[in-house]
Amino acid sequence: MTSEAYKDRMVLTIKGVGHWFGKHRVLHDVNLEIVRGEIVGVVGPSGCGKSTLFRAIVGTHPPRGGEIRVCSGEGVGALVRGPGRDRGIVYQQYSLFPFLTAQENVAFGLMVDESSIPYRLLMYPKWRKMRAQHMEQAAEFLERVDLGHAMRLYPGNMSGGMRQRVAVAQALIMKPEIILLDEPFGALDEATREELQCMLLNLYLENLDALRQNQKPPYTILLVTHELNEAIYVGDRVVGLSQYWDWKSEGFDACPGATVVYDRTAPVELPGGERKYEAYDRQRHEIRSTVFDPPAPVDRRKAQTFWEELADPRNRQGVLQ
Amino acid sequence: MIRQAIGSKWVVALGVVSVVALVGAYAALSHHQHQVNPDDRTIPTWSQLKDGFVKIVEVNARSEERWLVVDAKATGKRLFLGLLCGIGGAMLLGMMMGCLAPVEAVFHPPLALLAKLPPTAMLAVFFVLVGTDTNMYVAMIAFGVLPSLAQTVYLSVKDVPDEFLYKAYTLGASHLEVVWNVVFRQVLPKLIDAVRLQLGPAMVYLIAAEMVVGDVGFGYRIRLQSKLLNMDVVFPYLVILAVFGFTMDYALLKLQRKICPWYAYDK
Repeated sequence: MTSEAYKDRMVLTIKGVGHWFGKHRVLHDVNLEIVRGEIVGVVGPSGCGKSTLFRAIVGTHPPRGGEIRVCSGEGVGALVRGPGRDRGIVYQQYSLFPFLTAQENVAFGLMVDESSIPYRLLMYPKWRKMRAQHMEQAAEFLERVDLGHAMRLYPGNMSGGMRQRVAVAQALIMKPEIILLDEPFGALDEATREELQCMLLNLYLENLDALRQNQKPPYTILLVTHELNEAIYVGDRVVGLSQYWDWKSEGFDACPGATVVYDRTAPVELPGGERKYEAYDRQRHEIRSTVFDPPAPVDRRKAQTFWEELADPRNRQGVLQ
Repeated sequence: MIRQAIGSKWVVALGVVSVVALVGAYAALSHHQHQVNPDDRTIPTWSQLKDGFVKIVEVNARSEERWLVVDAKATGKRLFLGLLCGIGGAMLLGMMMGCLAPVEAVFHPPLALLAKLPPTAMLAVFFVLVGTDTNMYVAMIAFGVLPSLAQTVYLSVKDVPDEFLYKAYTLGASHLEVVWNVVFRQVLPKLIDAVRLQLGPAMVYLIAAEMVVGDVGFGYRIRLQSKLLNMDVVFPYLVILAVFGFTMDYALLKLQRKICPWYAYDK
């Protein structure tokens, strides 16, 4: 089985993406196809270009080579040429505007998307009505992430976990095709981190419900993390980027940049379920020895078996069924 | 211990003590001076100061004007217009320099040079370029505060993390919305801080210019009365200047807390 079977459900297609800064090669021939509704954990050693890949997807730093397409309906999707509201992002730091309350932060996207500065100035009475609706919607989203009590707090008054919840709500309210989480829980304590992981799994559950009702799964998430357990636990797929691949066998004199060396399914977990991290041992070891610390340069295609795995119906779990 | 907080009662008490000490030191000095020379006018007594204050608020027999009113009007107008031009220009220039690389490339070098030039030294240039009326004072204050204010705004804009801009774009903001709704909002409290710091220098430039070429205003009056050794008039003028500066500073601080309540938490 190849990705062809999921062709109509693709939301993000990355083809032959390469990026470099001067002589420094960062990414080389990155290929990835993401199915709508997936949560994909992206892992890799420091400096392997995960953030560069995210910036390319967000559109703030388009790739030097290859193409990235985001599909909102049918067809091949629109080429990413710059930032757009079809892609939401949550950063580890600076995830919220410090000068807005939690509610205003969540409503910010609705404001800039549905009105303009002249509209807000010249049609003030109409804008006030619209603003009230935006604030109401923002309140609903904050309730969904259990922050109904914190609507009027400024980010400076919130804990790290609260800030990241608000940031996720800020991205969700815009209903983007794909949400990029760039190490969003990196600076949080273990308990808060687990709470937020559950929050993501709840979103996955909503995806499954939507599929059952023959609707488009609303949330597709790419999660960059340093925690392998987190990538396996939250993701239904793990992608590894690494610079330690066998580029010599492909005729290069020097490393042309990091590329995808690992792409496999991960077990689908449900929120609130027992965390059996020991069951992830085999996959953790596999990722370590392929992505982080390979004993010898690896064949980059050897552990890219995601689509082959799906040939076996038993491996088609979650939104991939 | 360093940075260990003290109770608010202690803060108030120590503040009162420092003011009382200042007033007490002046009273002691004045008393000592008048024991040496009972007719002394260089360090006036409280009663002399009261007479001086009455002199500046009542209608002057010769000019038929109240000195304080005409001086306050002239100085206030010059200061207000100068600050308005300086702050407005600095805001515009600093924002454009921070947001647009070509504007940064064009204006950064001359601004860095001009920021080091004392505006009072340029008095003759303003004299030639804009004459000796209000325009000269306005130009000097604006020129005096603009370079450093513009640099503050420019550096503050540069300090806005890229992530905020990227996030705003992904939420659907236009370039103008990113500038107005993200960058400006982030920079505003720092601009108010910078204006607070520039109030003192702006008053220095104005008073100095009024002392040199003015025919009305606080600087003019202080210079004239100093020459006549009428310190009973000079001191009230100085107190009024200090109270005015303090009030402006306090008002700006209150304004900052009102329109940027997040800034205290963020710091």
